[in-house]
Amino acid sequence: MMRFLRRYLWPRWVRSGRVLLGLLSVLAVLAIAVVAPVLAPHDPLAQDLSLTLRPIELRGVYPLGTDGLGRCVLSRLMFGARAAVLVALPAALGALLLGGGLGLAAGWLGGRVERAVGWLAAAWVAFPPVVLALLLVAGGSGVAMAAMLSAWPLFCRVLRAELQAVAGRGHVAAALMLGFPRGQVLWREVVPAVLPAALALLAWVAAGAVGLEAVLAFLDLGGAPDRLSWGRMLADGWEVVFLAPINLVAPGVVLFSVMAGLALLGDGLRGTMGLALPEARLADDAMAGDGP
Amino acid sequence: MIASLGWRLLVAVPVLLLATLVLFVVLRVLPADVAAMALAPGATEAEIAAMRVVLGLDGLLPVQYVIWLGQMLSGEWGLSAQMGVPVARLVGTALPATLELAALAGVVCGVLGFSGGLLLFALRREGGQREGRAALAETGTTLMMAVPALLWALLLVLVFALGWPVAPVGGRLAPGLAWPPGTGFLLLDALAAGDLAVFGSALGHLVLPAVALGLGFAPPVMRVLGAALAEAYRAPFIDQARLRGLSGAQVLWGQALPLAAVPALAALGRQFVLLLGGVAVVEAVCGYPGLGRLLVEAVRAADLPVLQVAGLAFAVVAVLAQAVVEGVCRGLAPRVRA
Amino acid sequence: MSVLAARGLTVEARRRGGAVPVLRGINFTVEPGQVLGLVEEAGAGAAVVGRAVAQRLPPGLAMVHGSLSFLGAELMAMPADEMRGLLGREIAFLPPSPLAALHPARTVGAQLEAHLRRLGVARRELRAKAVAALAGVGVAEAVLGRLPHHLSQEQCQLVLVAMAFAGAPKLVVAEEPTAALDAAAQGRVLAAIQALRRAQGAAMLLITRDLLLAGAICDELAVMTGGDIVEIGPAASVLRAPRHPYTSSLLLATPPMRGARPDLYLLPEPAAGERALAGVAGCRFAPRCPVRAEYCLRTEPPLEGDAHRSACIRPGLVPTIVAQGEVPPPPWRPVGEVPVLALEGVGKAVTTGPAWRRETVAAVHDISLRITPGEFVAVVGEEGCGASLLARLAAGLEQPAAGRIMLAGVDVSVDAASARQQHAATVQMVFDEAQAALTPWRRVSDIVTEALAVRQSRSRVRETRARQLLAEMGMPLALGVRLPGQLGEAQRRRVALARALCGEPKLLVADGLFDGLDAPAQADLLGLLLRLRHRLDFALLLVCRDLAVARHLCERVLVMHQGAIVEDGLADTVFGWPRHEATKALLAGSPR
Repeated sequence: MMRFLRRYLWPRWVRSGRVLLGLLSVLAVLAIAVVAPVLAPHDPLAQDLSLTLRPIELRGVYPLGTDGLGRCVLSRLMFGARAAVLVALPAALGALLLGGGLGLAAGWLGGRVERAVGWLAAAWVAFPPVVLALLLVAGGSGVAMAAMLSAWPLFCRVLRAELQAVAGRGHVAAALMLGFPRGQVLWREVVPAVLPAALALLAWVAAGAVGLEAVLAFLDLGGAPDRLSWGRMLADGWEVVFLAPINLVAPGVVLFSVMAGLALLGDGLRGTMGLALPEARLADDAMAGDGP
Repeated sequence: MIASLGWRLLVAVPVLLLATLVLFVVLRVLPADVAAMALAPGATEAEIAAMRVVLGLDGLLPVQYVIWLGQMLSGEWGLSAQMGVPVARLVGTALPATLELAALAGVVCGVLGFSGGLLLFALRREGGQREGRAALAETGTTLMMAVPALLWALLLVLVFALGWPVAPVGGRLAPGLAWPPGTGFLLLDALAAGDLAVFGSALGHLVLPAVALGLGFAPPVMRVLGAALAEAYRAPFIDQARLRGLSGAQVLWGQALPLAAVPALAALGRQFVLLLGGVAVVEAVCGYPGLGRLLVEAVRAADLPVLQVAGLAFAVVAVLAQAVVEGVCRGLAPRVRA
Repeated sequence: MSVLAARGLTVEARRRGGAVPVLRGINFTVEPGQVLGLVEEAGAGAAVVGRAVAQRLPPGLAMVHGSLSFLGAELMAMPADEMRGLLGREIAFLPPSPLAALHPARTVGAQLEAHLRRLGVARRELRAKAVAALAGVGVAEAVLGRLPHHLSQEQCQLVLVAMAFAGAPKLVVAEEPTAALDAAAQGRVLAAIQALRRAQGAAMLLITRDLLLAGAICDELAVMTGGDIVEIGPAASVLRAPRHPYTSSLLLATPPMRGARPDLYLLPEPAAGERALAGVAGCRFAPRCPVRAEYCLRTEPPLEGDAHRSACIRPGLVPTIVAQGEVPPPPWRPVGEVPVLALEGVGKAVTTGPAWRRETVAAVHDISLRITPGEFVAVVGEEGCGASLLARLAAGLEQPAAGRIMLAGVDVSVDAASARQQHAATVQMVFDEAQAALTPWRRVSDIVTEALAVRQSRSRVRETRARQLLAEMGMPLALGVRLPGQLGEAQRRRVALARALCGEPKLLVADGLFDGLDAPAQADLLGLLLRLRHRLDFALLLVCRDLAVARHLCERVLVMHQGAIVEDGLADTVFGWPRHEATKALLAGSPR
């Protein structure tokens, strides 16, 4: 595996502009989420009712102004990154493990396992992801869990299709013939080949989870009413859009940049890491988790 | 075509049954207190205990499921815990509204997706020194994908309803217009009654949410079509068609597009299902009284009777749409991986 | 007036670092009703001629001067509209991959009728004309309603032949029209082409790498190498008395169908493509030529002669090029050894069709077969005869539905785990697509020693073995650090072969190992296998399309037909005195 990464992938995808741009924005959001308490100029929850709806004053006390309750927009944006990261990271990784595991198991073992996973995934995707997330939230799940549970079938479907494209290739049959145990063949010959798709999908699903978190917060579901989230800020800003447009524009722009960064990252990875399997049409429709 | 469609619809039946199981687990097994959810807020302990018996919560889970499924199938959906109105009436008025919106949004999505896909392909084919332009267009679709329908809806409403009021939002019909009798599908009813004023107003109320949804969900269709066209053009049959003397346009419209449209159509089907989810949000922003808004209200109020029926309605629409699209695709091109 | 005439046709590839010539001012004519064969080893330059006829040169290639005219009309300067008017009507094309050349989602009938419609057939006559066109190539009417993937490659090519001749063309350009076909289908398709062509008086340009195939149907042959025509003349004369060393070495690299089995002539590897040749001042073949003189490298020889011209200044030396020796007889074996592979009444069915209409077809049935240690056995047959499935069954990649499979006396159709071990120790297989059969991210030296990775050998051991294997395969050791994508096709096949032979299996199963290789590469690989046989002592089960290759390499031949073995015997007996119709059809299609 390591040799595979070092020799075959590293040089090409690092050079891609899209990957760099995406990585940069993702790392920036991660960093901001971690050091938000240090970086933020104000307590994001502190209300200053004497200074509500301030406009942008880059050198002022509130660089990006204040909202209807006099809270610092910039600080709230920084703390909002935490909500996004805390949803996107576990949701995307969990969906990769669950969906990817089931998809690979189904494709590799075939037979009953494949049929069972197929039916489960079919029943699961009967609900549009956002609807499923709403139902899960109503049933008491957290937002991250809801995002993960609505994204795993995507991993399942895409990785299973990728695996089927790879499994027919001669080097897989050759490894089986040489007497490698089946599990080892999966690890040595198949997983490296589907890895690019899985990583690209990971970025896309993370983007979808960020969007889903924003949507649920916008609708004020699945969390405290006064939570720190970009979606909440959008909803608050929507009410005062003509008085202080920055309250809507700032979270909108941030939300878009983060999702765009993740999408570019996924795109770049897919474009440059591919093993150029002619028969594998990579999941171009993979933005399925992309919330509403 | 008929056979594949029929088969796919037949398969949809067990899928839907399994989906009810998912719904049952999510709403009846996971939550802490189901009985309280089924009642109006502020119900007494005794009422909740009585509801436990009504819901069969004292029985075994499989038995509970069978009882619940029976209720769902026979239409005994009960009263909304929040509003005290029969669930059937709530869903009955909201579902047609959402179907109208979703259908229109699907059309917008398809038109945008196919024209965008053709454009992507045209830019890619020019090749050579203009390769940068194709890459730029590709990146453009990526950026478009990163704008969720929520942002599109906010933007469109802000510009075209509030800033420069050309399209109305809020409700399905301008105040003062009479509601035509009929099915609840406002566009159809208005046409049937020959009432163009109502038709125009209803369409006007649909435009913004439909365009927001279309913009939000079209980019993947564009990319699938662009990629499928490029792939088709690498196949020898295109070359052979050119060698038989077909012109570039004949090859594109007569040979490549019919084939490339199949995966694009399948992508459109998948996007339509996602778009149904987007409906929930866009309806909230645009104040459109559909199933999505009903569902959001029900989640907010933990209104179990409405939740389960609204959720099931979404599932039925999604599964049927998916089955039809897949059946058609399989019928059109049996061997094309969709 | 000539149907097609090339005068000084020069095509260049625009690459970074300047233009590289692909065609270097070639001249030929195709007279009405005549067949000209353009023969080239890898087919690069010859294929460009075919593309140039339709003004569809590959991207980056451009005609720089010279002319190519069709019935006096200059093709390269023709407006696109006028050109489209000719294509499909006056000029028709036959592709190398017929199945992929038909629209995959339209019925054959719809495609044929659309073409007839374009040719101006009235709507109500379409059906009748389509049926007639199909009848003309011997295809049943029922095929009209089917999709291409339901048909065999042969049927697809026959449909394309029907389409090509529907417009009564003056010229047919056929590029490797039988490359995807088995020997029997090749015979039938060529017969159909020739019958229609003679009836309509059409001329044909046949582009192929198979000198004997071209010789069998062409009136005139032009042999190309390095972007030049080096010999051109009447087919019989070129084949019988070649006047250029290149033609002669190609002929000597092709295994014969009758008589003794001579060692094949080994042509040196081509000098790294067009770019390297750009710097050669003299004869383009000189770097590989066995009879070159010093001045061959400096001065370019003109194409000289009367009817039979060649571009060689020492044609007198051509007959001196001969391959030395004969193929050694198989090593001696004691009688009564336990067969390395024994199949007893093996059968397997495959299921096809959509979920609501499953069909089960017996792909192979009642196969009984014994292969003794060290025996080389070839399986030949028509497309879909079940030979490939037989190979996969023998290799353990498929499980039989009926019957028993014994490997070196051990029944492997019973217990899965021990059977797999027995398989891994006894049988290895090489696949037809070497590109897909090599793990793309692994170095060559790691690939060839994967059999040691199973036993988790130390890397020093593997490195040593890798060097040994590469040397055995006649590959430079420096290739060990390359990735499969950086190798040529012939080298990839050697790597796949080395991987299979690393664990010294008792039986090697090879499916399509020689398909798609040109004569020199094929001769090279044949020689390698024959040498390895004496050193490593393994048996071979070879599924093979080319009967001459089968005969050259294997002493025993099986003929399969519709899932059953219909003939089994010594190669010379089976091919010399065929008894089954299937064998006769295969032999009839082999142009030897």
